[in-house]
Amino acid sequence: MEFAFYLAAAVAVVSTLRVVTSINPVHALLYLIVSLIAVAMVFFALGAPFAGVLEIIVYAGAIMVLFVFVVMMLNLGQAAVEQENSWLNPKMWIGPSILVGIMLVMMIVALFASPVEGTITGELIDAKGVGVALFGPYVLMVELASMLLLGALVTAYHLGRDDTLRPARDMNESRQHLTRDHRGTRQ
Amino acid sequence: MNLTSSHLIALLPLMLVCVTVVIVMLTVAWRRSHFVSATLTVIGLNAALASLILVGQVAPIQVTPLVMIDHYSILYMAMILIAALACSTLAYAYLETLPDQRDEFYMLLGCSVAGGLLLVSSQHLTSLFIGLELMSLPLYGMAAYAFKERLSLEAGIKYMVLSAMASAFLLFGMALLYAESGTLSFTGLGASLANDALHSNWVVAGVGLMVVGLGFKLSVAPFHLWTPDVYEGAPAPVSAFLATVSKIAVFAVLMRLFSLAPATGDGWLHTVIALMALLSMVVGNLLALMQKNLKRIIGYSSIAHLGYLLTALVASDGLALEAAAIYLATYVATTLGAFGVITLVSSPYKGSDAGLLYHYRGLFWRRPYLTAVLTVMMLSLAGIPMTAGFIGKFYIFTVGVESELWWLVGGVVLGSALGLYYYLRVMVTLYLKSADEPERDAPNDWAQQVGGLMVLLLAALVFLIGVYPQPLIDLVQMAGIQMPI
Repeated sequence: MEFAFYLAAAVAVVSTLRVVTSINPVHALLYLIVSLIAVAMVFFALGAPFAGVLEIIVYAGAIMVLFVFVVMMLNLGQAAVEQENSWLNPKMWIGPSILVGIMLVMMIVALFASPVEGTITGELIDAKGVGVALFGPYVLMVELASMLLLGALVTAYHLGRDDTLRPARDMNESRQHLTRDHRGTRQ
Repeated sequence: MNLTSSHLIALLPLMLVCVTVVIVMLTVAWRRSHFVSATLTVIGLNAALASLILVGQVAPIQVTPLVMIDHYSILYMAMILIAALACSTLAYAYLETLPDQRDEFYMLLGCSVAGGLLLVSSQHLTSLFIGLELMSLPLYGMAAYAFKERLSLEAGIKYMVLSAMASAFLLFGMALLYAESGTLSFTGLGASLANDALHSNWVVAGVGLMVVGLGFKLSVAPFHLWTPDVYEGAPAPVSAFLATVSKIAVFAVLMRLFSLAPATGDGWLHTVIALMALLSMVVGNLLALMQKNLKRIIGYSSIAHLGYLLTALVASDGLALEAAAIYLATYVATTLGAFGVITLVSSPYKGSDAGLLYHYRGLFWRRPYLTAVLTVMMLSLAGIPMTAGFIGKFYIFTVGVESELWWLVGGVVLGSALGLYYYLRVMVTLYLKSADEPERDAPNDWAQQVGGLMVLLLAALVFLIGVYPQPLIDLVQMAGIQMPI
């Protein structure tokens, strides 16, 4: 499976490079998803299916949700719709599609090539192995990682809090109020 | 892996600090009160400090293969907890009038302290990394705590971006070492690297990347560029925390890493670290000469002091452990005192901190005792006899001479001479006659507040260690690194 490893790794490097060089956040996110999928492929090729699946579910999945949220929050009217259209024009999909296509071809080859192209050498690390390690010698780290997340959360809350004093209203109304304000500053 | 009661006792300080954070969080969710949050934090930190006595009875003990609680870690845990207590008392006075929510600060402080406690007792690269992140991540928030102030926000963002870079370097270095040796524990690394692989290019690259990562966290030259900006921009209590707790923890774990996985072979690593030490001493002191901001001066001087400390790391035999511990203890007491005075002059919060030397012009004629404290701290940083700084520097000299590191000893001498100039410049400023009304001044009752009391105590301590260091030396001599079982 070495070819799968190197190919997926190359895809990951190329797409990550594009994440950094993209000027547009939405384009960068597209490439980020490709990069995460490629990293998942690397995990699969190395014989760590659990890590690969986690990479897809947590990272690619969570990033997708983030992506959706960003689009939702930027939904500010006709001007924004046009802007989004210009962001997501078909040309933009070519690059990520090619990269993902490479990986698709690679997977099909790996699955259906006969005789089997290559086998994964080395130990397979399954979900049970990961679980035993996490709740065996690494149990303290799991607990402390939660403290790490707590610290990050408190930091994000403190810095990201919007504390402009608004009269108490119900949430929807204040949201509309906010949207109107934003539109006001845009025009 | 079974955790018995003695394991739990060994983890008591860590658990108490984490529980404190959670309790403060729940209390804040119920009702916000700055006083209650601060008090709970101080109680929690004190309880953790007291629990070290219990831990001392079960130490040395290995809790999971990742963490080793021995007398060495107990000593550094005590230093971290005391420094954190000092910082939270300072923060209480400072944050009192911050036009923002104040309670989150104590949660962040608690998280960061927990990271420090883990770091000083880690004997595995995983716990090193998690500890380092747990310590630094809340620090981003703390540095940017007064984020309405442009400088504070800048400090937070600068620290976050550069620190993340450093973490990436560190992680990549670890990965390379793991690929080469197949183990992440300090002793395992030492054993497998001592055999044959030390000259392999991957090991050289891995160790080099780790040196970059840890060098950044210790802010030694040439990875020091962030230090003065962050020290200047962050609120004064946070600068104090950054200069003490994070330095203690990273240096302690570096020392343990060096003792358990010694870089033998042709010793290129020693040469690199010796060069970094020499560069830090020279660069730190030279750049401090022309600064006009007291916080920046202390920032640059911390670079130089870390350079002196690295001398002990380069020697890493004989007296080195003892010297490093004594130097760290004296440096921490002194830095806390100096930042304490800055905090008192800048508090209660009125916009950006009073960092400029101009603000301290003629402080003596308004606040003679506070000036005396700052003078003692400056003398101690310069390493004048009768202060704690002298004892620390004396130890570093001894180690340097004992290990025949003549270049480094020369660097310490040169650095001390340069240092004297700018420390004296600060002192002269304090005693000048100030013509106009002061813009910033400590509150009239500063000595009756906890922060003021703490600063006075620190001054007494610095003087006491300088005159009668034996108790500290006895304490430090008990703390040796325990080999893993």
